[in-house]
Amino acid sequence: MKIAIDVMGGDFAPGEIIAGACKWAEQPGCHAILVGKEAIIKQELGNFDPEKLTIINADEVIQMDESVLALRKKKKASIAVATKLVHDKTADAVLSCGSTAAQMASALFILGRFNGIDRPPIVASIPGPEGKNTLLIDVGANVDCKPAQMLQFAVLGKSYAAAVMGRDNPVIGLLNNGSEETKGNALALEAYSLLKNEKILNFIGNIEGRDLFGGSCDVVVCDGFTGNIVLKALEGLGLYLGRAMVQETGKVPAVLHRFDYSNVGGAPLLGVEGVSIVCHGSSKRDAVFSGLNTACDCVTRDIVNMQKEALKLIAVD
Amino acid sequence: MDELFKVASKILAEQLSIDPSEITMETTFEELDADSIDIVEMIMALEDSYDVEFPEEDLEDYPTMGTLLAALYEFLQQAKK
Repeated sequence: MKIAIDVMGGDFAPGEIIAGACKWAEQPGCHAILVGKEAIIKQELGNFDPEKLTIINADEVIQMDESVLALRKKKKASIAVATKLVHDKTADAVLSCGSTAAQMASALFILGRFNGIDRPPIVASIPGPEGKNTLLIDVGANVDCKPAQMLQFAVLGKSYAAAVMGRDNPVIGLLNNGSEETKGNALALEAYSLLKNEKILNFIGNIEGRDLFGGSCDVVVCDGFTGNIVLKALEGLGLYLGRAMVQETGKVPAVLHRFDYSNVGGAPLLGVEGVSIVCHGSSKRDAVFSGLNTACDCVTRDIVNMQKEALKLIAVD
Repeated sequence: MDELFKVASKILAEQLSIDPSEITMETTFEELDADSIDIVEMIMALEDSYDVEFPEEDLEDYPTMGTLLAALYEFLQQAKK
């Protein structure tokens, strides 16, 4: 398994990214392709076994505050070079803790998207009862969405839930501020109408934030702006409860580990012709390590082809 | 310029799933609900069509199809010389 890692992206890049990559590459069958400024990478690597990794130089970096247009101006940016390695089949997947916008644009422009899919969303798994997790889609790739894109997210979520999680006829919900059909902003109202009228979807209507953990849906659709806030609020809640439990009982209950993003590390972009794993900007070595294992899982499960096979049955317009 | 407009409007119309007749030189990208990714995609498709690489541009300087295409057309003319 070869994974291209954009080591220049992230709040703790390149040190923590490289440390996580090295830890991952120590596993049998794993080979890390570190993409970034070669001199810096070599300095960070120290005495790590050179057979476990490859360094690919990329002189430019897209900063977190740059727009997708930066990709046109910085063609040698680490995320672009790393994504190209997947396109060229040199790597099985790409992982980055850098700008999500740049990673999404790289996936879109370099890997290419599926027919009928305008924008790749990020899918995340939300803990549910008895291990029945719910997929939340989109959790941050598209902050400004169109209703038609929300419909596409639902279709991708359905295909992913069926193909990867083995869910039969996945139940789809729309995240909203009320369960009634008339609730929500203009985007939610229009998205509701599209989802309701799409016969191939097992759409049960609006669900509220508190219902995310109830297991009533396999896939919950929202725009990336809302999804990202929800995801980070959950992480913050997990941290708060963890601290509070330590103060009150002296230990953190195991259930709270499910809210620790570093245990999952990253989430895949869907609807694109390759595996691209988006990680938190604040990822440290453990999160990078977990994200790389998530990437392996996505490659092993062949999520790209499984999504495409599922989409053939759905036939997106 | 007419040919460039035809090619560009066809590409953009396909991307946005609209009729090409909805696009004129005066139409703003905002009116078309086209975001920066849509515009970059159109520019990249034009680069493939004309086998050129347009210079890096600040898209906010080109709010309409006409203003953007005028800049690209000028570059194409220069490239021919």
